[in-house]
Amino acid sequence: MNGPLIVQSDKTLLLEVDHEQADACRRAIAPFAELERAPEHIHTYRVTPLGLWNARAAGHDAEQVVDALVEFSRYPVPHALLVDIAETMDRYGRLTLSKHPAHGLVLTTTDRPVLEEILRSKRVIPLVGNRIDPDTVAVHPSERGQIKQTLLKLGWPAEDLAGYVDGEAHPIELAEDGWALRPYQKQAVENFWHGGSGVVVLPCGAGKTLVGAGSMAQAKATTLILVTNTVSARQWKHELVKRTSLTEDEIGEYSGTRKEIRPVTIATYQVLTTKRKGVYPHLELFDSRDWGLIVYDEVHLLPAPVFKFTADLQARRRLGLTATLVREDGRESDVFSLIGPKRFDAPWKEIEAQGYIAPADCVEVRVNLTDSERLAYATAETEEKYRFCATTATKRKVTEALVRKFAGQQILVIGQYIDQLDELGEHLNAPVIKGETSNAQREKLFGAFREGEISVLVVSKVANFSIDLPEATVAIQVSGTFGSRQEEAQRLGRVLRPKADGHQAHFYSVVARDTIDQDFAAHRQRFLAEQGYAYRIVDADELLADN
Amino acid sequence: MSTEEHPTPDRTPDPAPQGTAPRSLAEALRARDDASLSALLRTRPDLITPVPTDLTQLATRAGTRASVVRALERLDRFALQTAEALAVASDPAARDELLALLAGDDNDPAVTAAFPHALGTLREQALVWGPDDRLRLVRTARELLAPSPQHPSPTGLGPTVAEATAGMSPGRIQEIVAEAGLPTTHDSVSAVASLTALFTDRSRMSALLDTAPAEAVDVLSRLVWGPPYGQVTADPARHLRWLIDRGLLLPTAPGTVVLPREVALHLRAGRAHRVTEPVAPAVEAARTHRPQVVDSAAAGQAYTALATVEELLKDWHEGGPAVLRAGGLSVRDLKRTAVALDVAEPIAAFWVELAYAAGLLASDGEADERYAATPAYDEWLERPAAERWATLTSAWLAATRTAGLIGGRDTKDRTLSALGPGLDRSAAPEVRHRVLALLATLPEGAAATPDSVLAHLQWERPLRGDRSAAEDLRARLARWTLSESELLGVTGRGALSAQGRALLGLPSASARESGARAPSGPGDKLPAHKHHRPAVEAPLSETPRSPAEQAAAVAHAARLLAPLLPEPLDHVLLQADLTAVAPGPLERPLADTLGVLADVESKGGATVYRFTPGSVRRALDAGRSASDLHAFLAAHSRTPVPQPLAYLIDDVARRHGHLRIGAASAYVRCDDDALLSEILADKRSQGLRLRRLAPTVLAALADPAALLEGLRSMGFAPAAESAEGDVLITRAHAHRTPPRSAPVPVPDGPPVPDATLLGAAVRAIRAGDLASTTPRKDTQAPAPGNSELPRTSSAETLATMQAAVMTGEAVWIGYVNAEGAASQRVIAPIRVEGGFVTAYDHTADEVRTYPLHRVTGVAELADDQP
Repeated sequence: MNGPLIVQSDKTLLLEVDHEQADACRRAIAPFAELERAPEHIHTYRVTPLGLWNARAAGHDAEQVVDALVEFSRYPVPHALLVDIAETMDRYGRLTLSKHPAHGLVLTTTDRPVLEEILRSKRVIPLVGNRIDPDTVAVHPSERGQIKQTLLKLGWPAEDLAGYVDGEAHPIELAEDGWALRPYQKQAVENFWHGGSGVVVLPCGAGKTLVGAGSMAQAKATTLILVTNTVSARQWKHELVKRTSLTEDEIGEYSGTRKEIRPVTIATYQVLTTKRKGVYPHLELFDSRDWGLIVYDEVHLLPAPVFKFTADLQARRRLGLTATLVREDGRESDVFSLIGPKRFDAPWKEIEAQGYIAPADCVEVRVNLTDSERLAYATAETEEKYRFCATTATKRKVTEALVRKFAGQQILVIGQYIDQLDELGEHLNAPVIKGETSNAQREKLFGAFREGEISVLVVSKVANFSIDLPEATVAIQVSGTFGSRQEEAQRLGRVLRPKADGHQAHFYSVVARDTIDQDFAAHRQRFLAEQGYAYRIVDADELLADN
Repeated sequence: MSTEEHPTPDRTPDPAPQGTAPRSLAEALRARDDASLSALLRTRPDLITPVPTDLTQLATRAGTRASVVRALERLDRFALQTAEALAVASDPAARDELLALLAGDDNDPAVTAAFPHALGTLREQALVWGPDDRLRLVRTARELLAPSPQHPSPTGLGPTVAEATAGMSPGRIQEIVAEAGLPTTHDSVSAVASLTALFTDRSRMSALLDTAPAEAVDVLSRLVWGPPYGQVTADPARHLRWLIDRGLLLPTAPGTVVLPREVALHLRAGRAHRVTEPVAPAVEAARTHRPQVVDSAAAGQAYTALATVEELLKDWHEGGPAVLRAGGLSVRDLKRTAVALDVAEPIAAFWVELAYAAGLLASDGEADERYAATPAYDEWLERPAAERWATLTSAWLAATRTAGLIGGRDTKDRTLSALGPGLDRSAAPEVRHRVLALLATLPEGAAATPDSVLAHLQWERPLRGDRSAAEDLRARLARWTLSESELLGVTGRGALSAQGRALLGLPSASARESGARAPSGPGDKLPAHKHHRPAVEAPLSETPRSPAEQAAAVAHAARLLAPLLPEPLDHVLLQADLTAVAPGPLERPLADTLGVLADVESKGGATVYRFTPGSVRRALDAGRSASDLHAFLAAHSRTPVPQPLAYLIDDVARRHGHLRIGAASAYVRCDDDALLSEILADKRSQGLRLRRLAPTVLAALADPAALLEGLRSMGFAPAAESAEGDVLITRAHAHRTPPRSAPVPVPDGPPVPDATLLGAAVRAIRAGDLASTTPRKDTQAPAPGNSELPRTSSAETLATMQAAVMTGEAVWIGYVNAEGAASQRVIAPIRVEGGFVTAYDHTADEVRTYPLHRVTGVAELADDQP
């Protein structure tokens, strides 16, 4: 017994990365365990009921799971845990959702007491119709998502055999001229298609759009793509035109400014969730065509009303794309139950090792507040404290020094507070993109940055997501949305697109020492640290002295 | 039946030599050799408390109801069935008759094989005695097991024809005999005998039943397995009449009939029991693992057990939970402990009880009683892991306290709390041994199905009658044993581990194979202990091991376990996400330090630690310096210390102790630091215990007054300072009390009364005056003086009062109140009843009620005013 895996009693699995069997072990446990942390030596996986049920759905049985654990485990696997795994997996498949020729959508059971138990739940009662026979109950077709979600919460997940509608067919092909889907992208598309619906997690810059395009080429049907903002919508459109057989005319944009519905329609979350007189007028977009595929970009940002509506779309294939499935609101499980389980997940460092994302040097620069700033910070109101320490004047000096240091490279300066950004823009003599910047202006600036006409761009959180700036090599973060882990990861993602010359990306996070800024930074870095990005800490004084 | 206890006096009283049939149990016992007697006493230890004086007394005691019940309850199912069959056989019965009752007409070979052993057991336990042709069940046992209308027999058999016809008229018997197609006889005894002979003759009986109407056969089949009693109307249906006429149903009471035993036995093909269970149900293997897998799984769990107990007591290190007044742990504390151990409450209760049973924790006996680790715990901690496990396991095996009961309720509906009273179940150790011994009967690596274990246990110790609660207890104990042995690592993945086997003192499975069930030899007359039986067959409690043997077994188990336990490691892996992973158990000093320096995030085979500012501060508080910590991490990390971790330690250390806190009672401050230096340099200031905190501040341990005084005496001119920093101006001290209220004035005379009071006073005076001055009629009693109370006898008082009620006149009374004060009153009685007089009191100007016994006397008022 000298396996690479240690099975903990709290159902986490510790995988020793440097062990010779580590790869085999990773493959064996991947179907049922979630990768939670991937720092340099020991990766942590977690066995969750959801993961086990997904494994069941994918055709794995308890025996295989137990065997995988026992085979690779360094120490004896706690018996209680094995029993628990078997029992949990056994709960799956007792209930099935299927299409009945006469009664439409029905819930059937192989274990009558389970059906009796769930039918007594207050949450299930409104979702089901008549009892057809002792083992079968009719389900309102519109509640397909809701009942799956509810049953999952009750611990009796239903196997959904009701299938998907094909949607309105539309020819889509990948135009692989001079490029091809990367192996992991292919794998992701395959996993997604095989599973029917689900979420693909890939690092920023690893080409999630292509996974979307690949899935569309598989579906060959009308597609609705939901994205975070208009700029991103345009990028999708651009990319789809470039990478697939689709033409400009076949792709519509459904946003605040344009309301086009075409065989492939790209809509923003914002327009969908616009509320007028208490209703969401644009949600009918979901029904406006017989969509064969719905793609949710940046699924970790999925707004609550869209969640609710997605529950009603269970008959359509759904693809969620994200880099960081961490939601500070803890609704990850809703994503999984409504859009689908995680179908593909690649650790960032693995993709980096394959050369598809640029290696990054993450540095935390600690600046000292001056005495007068410290005094002011100490006496600031609680809600003002973060703003105060995050926008300290010293940060400006450090940012300037860094910009000087990397002169000639494409640099992004990212921050939270507009005043601070404006000031930085002024000092660095760089344009600022913020919420009030018009879309046209934004695109113009991004275009100029891509072309290398401007080398420094100051951006607010509007550029957190989905802005494709392949040539950016240095990101300097001066302030952020408190302790948001996914924001940190997304910002790092801005510089991870592989560089033409293959050189390293730099990510600087400027943090005020001994303030809550530092505490937030520690929390923000957690996701990346768990993905294996080791932050270096540098004192601002050293940095300034070097310069 | 001859007396069992006393030899019949007219026969030879000396002990029957071997070979001659004993005539009483005492004689039978006398004939047994010493080994056989000691076997009896071992299985029935109640017989020697106190030690009987002679065999007659032993026999008497063996026949007492309590002792027999106890012995019967400890029989296995087949022995009990044999005893039950003997109870329905003739008395005395021949061996073959008994065997036929058990094996049936088809002569079940399994029963025949098991029978000698069962009979041997019964003989050994002195429940059965007598030679083979005259087997006798001890009378008390027979009474307990034989069927009677009040206590239906477990066999479901009714009375014999002879018993059932005991009160029947001879004429009726002759009728039955005739109906049954037998020749009539001249007396009832022979008639009954011929009827019995018919019923016991299979072929004649079958012939008779062949002629029976179909409904009649149906009735018989309903009664055959008992209860044998049925209700009939005064005018039974034809098919019932057919049965009654032939004696196949015999009346027992008006409206009730019974199926005679012989008939039932015929219908049952001779079997006394519907299901005879000659052999215990086999313990079934649920699944089989490789023995190595089992052993290592068990070892892993054993390690977890040690870690859990250690964690529990560490959690209670600085004062465990309080002891409830009724003893035990409160539900809340148990919950808290369960959360701390990250297990379910019943499991937490088990660990707590285990530590208690092993003597590792106890109540501290202080006034405010709490649970705490015992000194034995500290010793235990120092021992090697395998020995620690052995301590826990042997404590568990022997404990009568059962953790499984915790959370349930006792007979008085009180909650049973962990560590509390009422958890002792004397059967627990025996059941534990049995369960483990049963697991040991399976091949190595095989896990038993719990149900088959329970079924086997139930066979070994069936319970007579409906004692479902007790039944439940044994089954529950067995279930708990299965789960607890898993928790302790005695079993691994449900199968008994090698160390578990050793713990029971059993040889390893391979060595045991040869000892399969030995065929029972011919000598079933010999008590059971003479039969060769496989070791595992005998419940271990029957052959208790000496403490030395037990200790050797435990030591052996520990030796087997030791190499399977993971070796403690001396290193951890540090990672940039501020975690450290110990990929196995750590050496104790390392684990202790790391436990302070970092928070444990995940436990199990490995431990995941997370460094946080709080945890680093804790280490610094514990007296470590930043450089210590750096050195510690560098020494114990296989990998370079990640920079963020180094920064974390430095950052926390930099701020650690930045603010200093101390106690001082006064301070000296002065803008001129030279002056302060001068004070410090002065030897006379030593008594003031001054310390320089800053160039311009001295702290003193002396109080401000003493400091002032001291500095003045040194020739300085200090000024006192208020809390706000103002100079206090010293004036002559004016001593003040705390807030006090002014005294209330005490006037000389009473205050001037107001009008109401005056009115009342006047009225009272007037009435009193009326009472004292009104001339009254002379009474027979010595005339009371004006100042004296009237005195009359109580009868007279009553009469006068009643008269006054009639006339409505006022009377004059003497009255003594509850305080003993006497007064005179003028009242107009309204009614007199129940010893009270209700009257309008002129003195008080209201209606009042007076107890008559307080009225000293009564006098009529004189009609005429003087």
